[in-house]
Amino acid sequence: MLDIAFVKPALPRSGALVLPLPEGGDGTLALAGLAQAIDAASGGAIARGLAAAGFKGRKGQSATLWAPALEGGAPGPARVVAIGLGKPGELTPEAAEAAGGAALPLVSAEREAVVAAEALAAPHAAAFALGLLLRSYRFDRYRTTVKEEEKPKLERVALASDAATAAKTAWAPMRAVAEGVFLSRDLVSEPPNILDPEEMAERCKVLEKLGVEVEILGPKEMRKLGMGALLGVAQGSVKEPRLVVMQWHGAGGGKGKKATTTPVAFIGKGVTFDTGGISIKPAGGMEDMKWDMAGAGAVVGLMAALAGRKAKVDAVGLVGLTENMPSGEAQRPGDVVRTMSGQTVEVINTDAEGRLVLADVIHYCQERFAPRFMVDLATLTGAIIVALGHEHAGLFSNDDTLAQQLAAAGKSVGEALWRMPMGEPYDKALKSDIADMKNVGGRPGGSITAAQFILRFVGKAGPAQAPIPWAHLDIAGTAWSSKDLPTVPKGATAFGVRLLDRLVADHYEG
Amino acid sequence: MLKVRLRPAPRGRGEPRLLPVAGAAGVPHALRAAAAAAGFTGAAGQCLDLPEDGAQGGPQGGAPGGSAARLVLVGTGAPRRSLDWERAGGAGLAAAGAVRHLALDARGLPPEAAAALAAGACLRAWRFEAARSEAARRGAPPAPEALDLLVDSPEATAPHWERAAAGVRGCLLARDLAAAPGNHLTTRAFAARLETLAEHGIAVDVLGRKRLAREGLGGLLAVGGGSANPPRLAVLRWRGSHAAPPVAFIGKGLCFDTGGLSLKPAAGMAAMRADMAGAAACAGAMLALALRRSPAPAVAVLPLAENAIGGAAYRPGDVLRMGSGRTVEVVDTDAEGRLVLADALHVARRFRPAAMLDLATLTGAIVTALGAHRAGLFGTDAALMAQAAAAGEAVGEPLWAMPIGARHREDLASDIADLRQCASGRLQPDACHAAAFLREFAGDCPWAHLDIAGVEVRAGADALGPKGPSGFGARLLDSLVAHYFEDPDRI
Repeated sequence: MLDIAFVKPALPRSGALVLPLPEGGDGTLALAGLAQAIDAASGGAIARGLAAAGFKGRKGQSATLWAPALEGGAPGPARVVAIGLGKPGELTPEAAEAAGGAALPLVSAEREAVVAAEALAAPHAAAFALGLLLRSYRFDRYRTTVKEEEKPKLERVALASDAATAAKTAWAPMRAVAEGVFLSRDLVSEPPNILDPEEMAERCKVLEKLGVEVEILGPKEMRKLGMGALLGVAQGSVKEPRLVVMQWHGAGGGKGKKATTTPVAFIGKGVTFDTGGISIKPAGGMEDMKWDMAGAGAVVGLMAALAGRKAKVDAVGLVGLTENMPSGEAQRPGDVVRTMSGQTVEVINTDAEGRLVLADVIHYCQERFAPRFMVDLATLTGAIIVALGHEHAGLFSNDDTLAQQLAAAGKSVGEALWRMPMGEPYDKALKSDIADMKNVGGRPGGSITAAQFILRFVGKAGPAQAPIPWAHLDIAGTAWSSKDLPTVPKGATAFGVRLLDRLVADHYEG
Repeated sequence: MLKVRLRPAPRGRGEPRLLPVAGAAGVPHALRAAAAAAGFTGAAGQCLDLPEDGAQGGPQGGAPGGSAARLVLVGTGAPRRSLDWERAGGAGLAAAGAVRHLALDARGLPPEAAAALAAGACLRAWRFEAARSEAARRGAPPAPEALDLLVDSPEATAPHWERAAAGVRGCLLARDLAAAPGNHLTTRAFAARLETLAEHGIAVDVLGRKRLAREGLGGLLAVGGGSANPPRLAVLRWRGSHAAPPVAFIGKGLCFDTGGLSLKPAAGMAAMRADMAGAAACAGAMLALALRRSPAPAVAVLPLAENAIGGAAYRPGDVLRMGSGRTVEVVDTDAEGRLVLADALHVARRFRPAAMLDLATLTGAIVTALGAHRAGLFGTDAALMAQAAAAGEAVGEPLWAMPIGARHREDLASDIADLRQCASGRLQPDACHAAAFLREFAGDCPWAHLDIAGVEVRAGADALGPKGPSGFGARLLDSLVAHYFEDPDRI
């Protein structure tokens, strides 16, 4: 992980100098601080170079000037990179973050970079650093032949600011969240022969170092609990399923061994590889199904983020881990399974396995923790990609308040959600001739009927026996990016980690 | 449509009488034991068929000579909205079964409720018989033809009924058009049918191939080019009485859609006779406005075409110059709806409308997204979208807002033309892509797009209609205009 530091302003003598610059009111750039200093030291070469490049400080603009000659032959940066911030006064933390992300590929060939962040308010400076850091993620574990010159060199980024202390304070929790994001991206990027349910459960144990209590349940415990749906999905694979329960007791200051409040709960679908089972998927694109555990990956990353920044909340994260394989032992279309809740399910399509896993994990979660709310994340349906594409994840909920909080949190971290409808007409599609329900409701409204299925396992709690507030995020279109985005390199996005961390920070701490 | 007569009392000719009942307490005393035994609680959707007994049913009940008349109790639950009364009326009509004449007893109810009950009955009673032979029609079991709406004051109810009936007739026109098979309702026949709306005071102008060519409507010409039935553009205008910019309706009118060279699979292709349901709904809405003499000016721009295969058909890879001057690369000839709509939006903008709404059975993707219970709502104007959604809820034609994101527009970048018509590959958000495409032709006019694929037909009968075309959109647009475009102060 990049080393990010906040320092007092001084011109670097090598490496990169990054100038985040706002748009000038009259079309001219106002250079201040280190930008002005290097411009002066180079005899105005910076202002001239930027003008020649047509750089006006607009959002999304960038320009690189190579090794400006400084007066007296003084050593200076090998490159000066200007990044447009848009109109001054309109800068938001999200925009600062995107600007930081855009800067990264322009400086990654240098070992060190200094960002002239004097003009940025402390939260914006920290957001710029976060964008840079998030964009720097790489998963190179299985590359053995990369040439030295092709590897990114950037090791250290120093943000030069007069308010370095304030920026550093803003930065500390952000770094913890970024670590959660990186952990999640690592898990999702891992190939399925390496990351099977057992291995993923083992990796959850790294959270213990952060003070998270980690429990792992295997098939024996699941059988005792009656998790027929989860076990049904798992039975075709030689790999055993796992259920990992992660508890963070932060409400009492992060030192307690027990929750002092009713916890909030996050549940993730963790199908470490999904062939579709007997209802096997087409071969083309099946390799993508290694990321069918991205919901679980997000929950693990979220727990790391919450614990890493010592969030003042009691939170539980549960992930149902299994592989979905065809074999002589595998579940068949037509099978009827009994879920832990007692409800029976006719399995029409073995490739609609995620909801079966979630059904048992959600039921277990509410039985054990009676949480304040439950949010589940799952790469659940192709239908949500057809519905929304890759910019929004689908948001389904039985609680308008929770839904609004989630949508707002998503908007502020660039993980957008779009609310989708639910209701009785959709639920009807799950009617089975033999069991309490079918596991699919047909192509029309496919992601909605999937959400209705899950909702059937959301129970009631409290003295009033009110339904537990629940939301389901269908992240099938957003868990993996086919192209580089400002703060997300191509590949695993860790969608959900930052969103849910923000949800907790904004509404459920203290 | 059912012949509805407003009467203060039943004729006593032995026709079944539908009696709305709000909860168990609303059941007439003499029938409580029977209702309780049958499990009838007066909840919405419940009906109970009983022999009418003159002694029990009240002074008007009973058939002369003791012939077996029927009383049908119709549960209304606790109706709050007009729609609840409509559903009760429809449920009652269905429960009455195979009879030609029936009475609906709305005495004691407010005139709005009486009108809504009758409207629901008319919607439920619609049938499409035009494609059956005379002999088959004669041999068929009887079906409802006339309804006596029993009300305390026919005079007080009449204006409410006329307003409600206008929307119903608009909806039923839309259903008639959508039900007609592709060989009956050709582009020419559709245009001729629209020309008959002139009798209601609607100005109808139909543009043929030459005019379309002169206007440069390359999208419509290309889509309609492969068919022996030439493309048409129908422009319907209702002047209203306000001197205000009109509200514009644009409806996709694909009289039949084979998919063109990007041919559809054979299974299910027959349903493509209803690929003009958007245009039909717009025509129905215009009829409703005219029938109730709406003060709001409105215009409907309806591109009519048949997407056929043949030597003159347009091809994937073709680049079209649209009416607006933009060029479009064709990726899939089965994404034709957006091409004809784009040209129609361009024409509609010439009327400088206050708002544009287009309706189209546009994408399979919207069915995957929302199923057959809600239509997709896209647009550029939050207020207009909220109004459309509210109007839809009011008439039982619900919408759900869907996004047009930056990525959706990016996906339409073309290597050769100004934009691509759609993206290719598996799992594409095609409904969003289509909306992003249309937005390029809506300009700065407040615009909403309703993707009604999936809701244009009922898979099975419900309270407001039999299995078959639903007329979705006609009543919605009528209600939208009534609520938001008829206030002269707003303009």
